[in-house]
Amino acid sequence: MSFSFDLYVQRRSWLHAVDPRVKLAFVFLGTVLMLAFKNLFIMLLSLAITHLIISSAGVPGHKVRWVWKTMLPINIMIPLLWVIFYPEGPTVLFQFWFLKVTALSFLRGIALALRLDAIAFICFTWLFTTDQTSLVRSLVKLGLPFEWGLVLAIGLRYIPTFYGLYTVVSEAQQARALDLTRGSFFTRVRSYLPILVAMLISALRTSEQLARAMESRALGLPGVQRTCLRDIRFRPADYAYTALLIALFSALLTLRFQFGLGTHPLYLF
Amino acid sequence: MAGEPCIVVQDLWYSYGGEVTALQGIDLEIEDGDYVAVIGQNGSGKTTLVKHFNGLLKPTRGRVLVRGLSDREGSPLLRDTADLTAGQLAQTVGYVFQNPDHQIFCATTRQELAFGPRNLDLPEAEVKRRVEEALARFDLEEVADKPPAVLGYGLRRKIGVAAVYAMRPRIFILDEPTTGLDWRSTMELMELIGEMHCHGHTIILVTHDMKLVAEFSQKSLVLRDGQVLVYDDTRNVFEHSEILRDTQIEPPQITALAKRMVPYGMPGDVLSVEEFYTAYCGLGER
Repeated sequence: MSFSFDLYVQRRSWLHAVDPRVKLAFVFLGTVLMLAFKNLFIMLLSLAITHLIISSAGVPGHKVRWVWKTMLPINIMIPLLWVIFYPEGPTVLFQFWFLKVTALSFLRGIALALRLDAIAFICFTWLFTTDQTSLVRSLVKLGLPFEWGLVLAIGLRYIPTFYGLYTVVSEAQQARALDLTRGSFFTRVRSYLPILVAMLISALRTSEQLARAMESRALGLPGVQRTCLRDIRFRPADYAYTALLIALFSALLTLRFQFGLGTHPLYLF
Repeated sequence: MAGEPCIVVQDLWYSYGGEVTALQGIDLEIEDGDYVAVIGQNGSGKTTLVKHFNGLLKPTRGRVLVRGLSDREGSPLLRDTADLTAGQLAQTVGYVFQNPDHQIFCATTRQELAFGPRNLDLPEAEVKRRVEEALARFDLEEVADKPPAVLGYGLRRKIGVAAVYAMRPRIFILDEPTTGLDWRSTMELMELIGEMHCHGHTIILVTHDMKLVAEFSQKSLVLRDGQVLVYDDTRNVFEHSEILRDTQIEPPQITALAKRMVPYGMPGDVLSVEEFYTAYCGLGER
């Protein structure tokens, strides 16, 4: 049985109906906000809100779990590296040889990992609920040349495909007795080579086929003005969402830079 | 040891991430030296099932036992795949993936074939011997020093099979090995697989091509919605084609023709053109 790794979830929900440009603004402003804050609770709140939004749009639980699974290595590495390289603050949790673990750097590490999770989920509210056609359409409407929009959409579209490809290739090599668990760190890194090289060859083959397939459907024909079957248009609700988005963004940014909201990992002010 | 089970499946259930139940309570015994075709519609669980035989998937419920991993005394035992990695099982169970590009990564065909045997920690002389033998058997000597990734599809496919063959597994799983091959390459590959079977290897063939099933496999395992619909001699499976009605599986045309001719004395269990010809000549004599 083959498994589909498409990001887009086909549903009819309020979020699917929102103009993709509004969702793009949400991604942009949301990311800026997350980068402005460093507070643990703000990250958690943002994650709670995006989870609520995603589930209200009918995105199934296994997609959400997939995001968390993908983010797991980052969630482990960031606090670990932060603790090792940026010891700060007076409270020392424990000290061993050159390693000094302080409470503040530990909290900061976690807050930073959660910040990336929060940004990831902000992006996925957009990617889970916007199909490729409207995604390209929205980018073109924002002034991007059609080919650029297409390149971006294809890039996004192929992230999960390559994730799937990795799984298959790694299975195929394990079936040839490739052991990924044996030996020292460097032996193990080396044993990923058969997977990476096979993936690279497959990826090149895929991209060549894709390019030919698109060319054979007359993509890039010079002097042709593209028409579109389905156009996107702002509805009254979209204006309301945009206004709400800008209002929230300005309010939160004012709180951050005028009153110092959310600069400490633990305390709000 | 022909006649003894080499794969035993007991009440096997499997679901992908707890969402999609792909296999539902499969019970099955495959004997040493069998040639089994696994057939069924897309999504019926064929690939999911055979991936359990080499440990790429572990049962959600139930057990899969595989014979052939010798213990220290050298007697082959039936062992639970849950305790073994796919790498360990690869000594006994070879698995040729659908798409050869998912495994090809070496600079030369020779290196590609040596990858598996080397992973088994065989002495270098033995690796070399096996690689040369596989090159000869699959008629790949001409491309032995060429990069496999740039060869034609038919050759890449053959290299994929040869790379697993060089590991000498007792059980050979081939997932749709002939898709995309022309008739001549298909027959070439099927004959090589037939030879391996003659040398005592157990063959498990996942395929959609009923003509190949009828002509080559002794037994057929028909899956529907993750359950075993029927597991019997291929002849019996195609003779009672009413069982297959809901599975979109049609017996080969020659079998269908023979069945239409049953009123005229033609036997209903014909599987190949050869058999049809012999039976038809027999009709004339009578």
